[in-house]
Amino acid sequence: MIQNHLDILLIAIVTAAACALPGVFLVLRRMTLMSDAISHAILPGIVLAFFLTESLSSPLLILAAAGTGVLTVVFVELLERTKLVKEDAAIGLTFPALFSIGVILISRFAGNVHLDMDAVLLGELAYAPLNRLKAFGYDLGPVSLYVMGTILLLNLAFILLFYKELKLVTFDASLAAALGFTPTLIHYGLMTLVSVTTVGAFDAVGSILVVALIAGPPATAYLMTDKLSRMLVLSALIGSVNAIGGYWLASLFDVSIAGAIATMTLLIFVLVFLIVPNRGLIAIARRHARQKWEFAQTMLVIHLFNHEGLPEAETESAIADLHEHLSWDPGFTSQVVKYALNNRCVSRKETQLILTSHGRTIAQQALVQ
Amino acid sequence: MQRSEQKAIQVTDLTVAYQDKPVLWDIDLDVPPGVLLSIVGPNGAGKTTLIKAILGLVRPAAGNVLIYDKPYEAQRRIVGYVPQRGSVDWDFPTNVLDVVMMGRYGALGWIRRPQKKERELAMQALEKVGMEAYTTRQISQLSGGQQQRVFLARALVQDATVYLMDEPFQGVDATTERAIVTLLQELRADGKTVVVVHHDLQTVTDYFDWVMLLNIRRIASGPVDEIFTSDNLRETYGGRVAFMKTDKGGV
Repeated sequence: MIQNHLDILLIAIVTAAACALPGVFLVLRRMTLMSDAISHAILPGIVLAFFLTESLSSPLLILAAAGTGVLTVVFVELLERTKLVKEDAAIGLTFPALFSIGVILISRFAGNVHLDMDAVLLGELAYAPLNRLKAFGYDLGPVSLYVMGTILLLNLAFILLFYKELKLVTFDASLAAALGFTPTLIHYGLMTLVSVTTVGAFDAVGSILVVALIAGPPATAYLMTDKLSRMLVLSALIGSVNAIGGYWLASLFDVSIAGAIATMTLLIFVLVFLIVPNRGLIAIARRHARQKWEFAQTMLVIHLFNHEGLPEAETESAIADLHEHLSWDPGFTSQVVKYALNNRCVSRKETQLILTSHGRTIAQQALVQ
Repeated sequence: MQRSEQKAIQVTDLTVAYQDKPVLWDIDLDVPPGVLLSIVGPNGAGKTTLIKAILGLVRPAAGNVLIYDKPYEAQRRIVGYVPQRGSVDWDFPTNVLDVVMMGRYGALGWIRRPQKKERELAMQALEKVGMEAYTTRQISQLSGGQQQRVFLARALVQDATVYLMDEPFQGVDATTERAIVTLLQELRADGKTVVVVHHDLQTVTDYFDWVMLLNIRRIASGPVDEIFTSDNLRETYGGRVAFMKTDKGGV
C-alpha cells in the first residue's frame, strides 16, 4: 500500500518536472496555448495507435501521437500564413477538429477500445502504478514511471545540448536566423518535445491538466528570477512541489489527484505572485505606501527649509498649525510628522518643528533635482 | 569614376513581395567597402525589408544579393546585424553581458557554449559603448538608449566587416545618439562598411557619407553630396518634405 503511494507520488513528480522544462520556453515564447492545442489534438493519434499496439505506453503510440501534435502546429501555422486567420483563431479551429476525430473514434469503437472519455480528459494517476514493468519474473516498477523518466531525460538532454540555441531563438529569432541557427528547426524540435511530453503526461493527468503542468511552474518561476538557467531549475522544482502538495491535498480530501495537483499549481502561483520580493503584489503595495510617506516627508522638510531662519518661521513651523499651512488633513499631518521624527529628519523644539542636518540635506537634494 | 571593383554589398534586381503586393521593386544597390551609408525613405518604403533581404531573412521574389562577391550564406561570419530594438522582448530573463555574448554565437556554431574568451570580448565591446558598469543588469531595467547600446555591443563582438543596423537611433537620448555616431565613424575608419536605416533627414549630411533614397523602388544612391538633393528628396517623399535646407552639393 505504501509502495503504491510512493509510486504515484514518483510518477507525479517526474511528470511535473518533465512538463515544466519545455514549458519554460513556451511561456517565454508566449505559446502556452499551443500546448493546450497539442494536448487535445494528440487524441486521434493516441486512439489510432492504440488500435495497432493495444497498449497505452508503447513507444510506437507515443511517437504516433506526438506526430499528431506536431501536425497540429503545422496546421496552425499554415492557416496563419494565409493571413485570413489570426493565430488564436487558427489554434481554436485546429485542435477541436482533431480532438473531435478522437472523440468520434472512441465513441464508435468504444467496445473494442479500453479508453474512456473521463480518463482522456482527466487522466487516472491512481491507476498508473497498476501497469508494471516485469522482467525475468521481477517487478521493476510502474511502466509510466519509466516512460516519464525517459521523457524527462530526453527533455533535459535537449535543453542542455541546445541551451544556447534555444535562448537565442527565443530572445531574438531574426538574429538567430542571420547567424545561421535555423529557428524553424529549433521551433519544431521544441514542438516535438512538447508533443512527446504531452502524450506521456496524458496517461497520468489527462489532456486538460497537462497545460497546468506545462504553463503553471514556468509562469511561477518567471516571477522569481531574472536568469533563464535559474528559471529552468526553479520550474522543475516548483513542478515537483506542486505534485507533492497536490498529492497530499488529494489524499487529505480524497479527490482526483490530477485535479488537486492543478489546484496546487494555482495556489503556489498566487502565493508567489503575492509574496515574491521586489515584484510581488505585496512588495509593490508596500513600495507605493513607502513612496507616499517618503514624498510627504519631503514636502514637509521642504516647507520647513523654505521658511527656515525667516521671520515667519515661528508660525510656519508650529506643529499645531502645520496642517493649515500645508492644507493637509490634521490626522495625516501628525502621521507625517511622526514619520519624519522617526527618520530623524526633524526634531521637536517646544511647540515647533525644526530641521535636523539630515532633514536639511534631504530638502536641498530634492530641490536640486 | 574610379573605385575598387569589389563591392561590400551588391544588390541586383531585388524584388520582395508579400503575396502580390510589392514591398521592394527591382532594387539595385552597390555599396563600396568602407562607407557609412544611410537608407532613407518614408514609412513603408521597405527600408527594414531591404536589410532583411540582404540578411536572407526574407525570401526575394526576384534578384540577388552578394556580400564581397559571395552569397550571404557563405559570408555570415563577416556580417553584423543590429535589429530594431522593439523587435525583442526586453522582459526576457537575462542580463546585459549575456545578450552581448549572443553576438559570438555565430562564431561558436552549434552546441558549443561561450567560454571565458567570449566573456572577455563581450566586456570589451561593452566598454566601447560605455556600458561596462551594467554587465549584470537585468535587461528590462535598461533605458531605451542603454538597450540600443547593448545591441550595438552585441554587433561589435561579432567582429564583422559589414554592419547592417535597423534604426539604431530610434528613441535614444542625445548623449547616446552622439556616442553611436562616434562609434559608427570609428567603424568606418577601421575600413568597415556600415549600412544604417535612418529616419532623421536633418542629420543625414552630418552623420553619413553615403545615402540611399528608397521608396519601394530605389530613387538614388551614392555619396551624400551628390545624391542628397531636394529634387531627389521630393521624389522620395512625394513633395512632402517641407523643411529642406539648400543643397549642400550645389555650387
